[in-house]
Amino acid sequence: MTSPFEPHDVTWSRVSPRLVTAMLVPATISLGIPMVAGVVLAVTISPWFWLLAGVPAVFLLWSILLIPRQVRAIGYAERDDDLLIRKGVMFRSMVVVPYGRMQYVDVEAGPLDRKLGLAKVQLHTASVGTDAQIPGLPPDEAARLRDRLASRGEARLAGL
Amino acid sequence: MSTPEHELDTSGAGSAAQRAQPPAEDLDWRRVHPVTPLVRGWAVVGAAVVILGQQSLDGGPRGGLIALVSSEYWWTLFAALAAVAAVGWGYSVLAWRMTTYAIGEETVHLRRGILFRQQRHARLDRLQSVDIRQPLVARFFGLCELTLETAGGTDSGVAIGFLKGSDADELRAELLARAAGLKVARTGPAGSGRRQPPSGTVAAPAGPGHAGSVPVGPVPVGPVPVGTGPEGQPQDAGPQAGFPHAGGPDGPLGGPTGPPTLEAPQIPVLSVPLGRLIASVVRSGAMITLVVWALVVVVVMIVTGEFAVISASLPAVLGAGGYLFGRLTGEFDFRVAISPDGVRLRHGMLETRSQTIPPGRVQAVRLVQSVLWRGRDWWRVQVNVAGYGGESEEKNSVLLPVGTRDEALTVLSLVLPDLGVDEPRRVLDAGLDGNSRTESVYVTAPRRTRILDPVAWRRNGFAVTGRALLLRRGRMVKILDVVPHERTQSLGLSQGPWQRRLGVASFQVHSTEGPVHPEAPHLDAADAARLMAEQAMRARSARAAAGPERWMERQGE
Repeated sequence: MTSPFEPHDVTWSRVSPRLVTAMLVPATISLGIPMVAGVVLAVTISPWFWLLAGVPAVFLLWSILLIPRQVRAIGYAERDDDLLIRKGVMFRSMVVVPYGRMQYVDVEAGPLDRKLGLAKVQLHTASVGTDAQIPGLPPDEAARLRDRLASRGEARLAGL
Repeated sequence: MSTPEHELDTSGAGSAAQRAQPPAEDLDWRRVHPVTPLVRGWAVVGAAVVILGQQSLDGGPRGGLIALVSSEYWWTLFAALAAVAAVGWGYSVLAWRMTTYAIGEETVHLRRGILFRQQRHARLDRLQSVDIRQPLVARFFGLCELTLETAGGTDSGVAIGFLKGSDADELRAELLARAAGLKVARTGPAGSGRRQPPSGTVAAPAGPGHAGSVPVGPVPVGPVPVGTGPEGQPQDAGPQAGFPHAGGPDGPLGGPTGPPTLEAPQIPVLSVPLGRLIASVVRSGAMITLVVWALVVVVVMIVTGEFAVISASLPAVLGAGGYLFGRLTGEFDFRVAISPDGVRLRHGMLETRSQTIPPGRVQAVRLVQSVLWRGRDWWRVQVNVAGYGGESEEKNSVLLPVGTRDEALTVLSLVLPDLGVDEPRRVLDAGLDGNSRTESVYVTAPRRTRILDPVAWRRNGFAVTGRALLLRRGRMVKILDVVPHERTQSLGLSQGPWQRRLGVASFQVHSTEGPVHPEAPHLDAADAARLMAEQAMRARSARAAAGPERWMERQGE
């Protein structure tokens, strides 16, 4: 059975593997704090607090296992007239954005992203349903993509 | 800011100067109607009264408003109300003084705001719709608010209000004519038009669409009116060039009584009888929910013997009741008409709305039938129009609140005249209530998806015509979405773990904000992949062939 997420004439570009770090650090912080708190409370007050420690620990383990696969699953491809973006391991999705439909392009980078040398490119069409973002691009590639998308969008601009 | 009195020129030369891309100070800045603050101020007073009422309710029987009114300090209440009213009206007067608008060659300008000044320039070729709204209070004064939607997302429209009813109609006609790409000669108001939009001063185009009979089909066809030039060419196109002033010899000087010259003729198509509207609301999903909810509450009350259940469920009942009431009053006396400027809708009981959606502005259409409408074969038609999204979506985006199948398909053909298929009726019928057992052009979800969607799996499917993509789904609530190829924003494909095991995927078309979210769930993976690839290509070629934004400039089809 052919997968609809593998169009035959497309070569996918991958995002930077540093995105794994960029995603793991916030996950570790947000899940690690309740875990540590749970451990401390369990040791000092009551063993029931092992539950509080255990639940975030399971989630953290799950994220550590899943995030590298998720990052590997993110791909994008520039075709002549549109941009393809796919993502997801269990829940896969793919979006096709025609260049002429782009209204504007965002490039964002948080503090951690900048430290790691990453940026996120997001495309906006007139539809709020278009979820077209490419996280984890090296800044040079993000800038190149932004300029390329902008120029292609201009060339193929159609109103709405 | 310049007042209209400055511009007394009615000569061709003066008009020609105005027709050039005007610098801001050359624009004819006008104020809205002087009664506006009175109308707007009522909102403040009304809000104050509502808040007072709530306070008194919360205060219980012994405190609050009732105690105040019966005490010797009763006058404080009225003093407070008067103060609130004074502040409200004072603010409204200031806001009125600061609000001016101007119609340029290709833009509409609006200045407003007291502390934070805002200037908004809306390009007319990006105009998505023009609505005239008349709230209840404004109706006592015969005033209307004109809203011009552009495609910039929520709150991107330009609201000009309030205006005298006839002025609003003329302004709408002028805006639509300009947006359509017709050259409109604009001259200054001749003295008498103080603080009013100039009336009787716009020249009618001689284009067949605006002057002659209206073709109900691919809307404006025929010889192209003057003004096919991409930008205004001020010198060679004088106001009289090519077409007469329909206002007659006294056209430019006609003053406020001049005939509304630009109003495109409209042909009534259908109206919704009150009886059917009431019956449709009674049979609607919200009503079913309300009745079921009421039954549950009564049963629970009987079983537990607690009367508190009623008061606890009151907010939900009030909410549903309010929704039904809003629907009834909002869609009261719904009339649909067609004109060269697009579809005209007129509806409302307390607040009347008159909407104009120009050709090519409809991004997607949905025909939907709730379960109790099936016996009568009633359908509801909703549309996505850029700029209509947001909180007023429920009021704006309805093309037909309830109608028979024939009426619904007529309305569909008004906004999408050509589906690009030989037998549109058969394709549409199959989309409305066909399923995988009926012979049709629809590609349907495979049988193995009945585990994912046991009720409606036979309905899920899509059909591609020359001009549009049709997506059908739902069995209890039947839905058919129609998306013209050139209006496709982007395409999406998604697949969960169960879907992957079954080798199916769901396909979405992303449209602008609105009630229509076109999708085809659980298609066979190969079908979905092919649809994705081909639809991207079809959308591309359809866009290349699509008509211009200015709909009167298209050269036939």
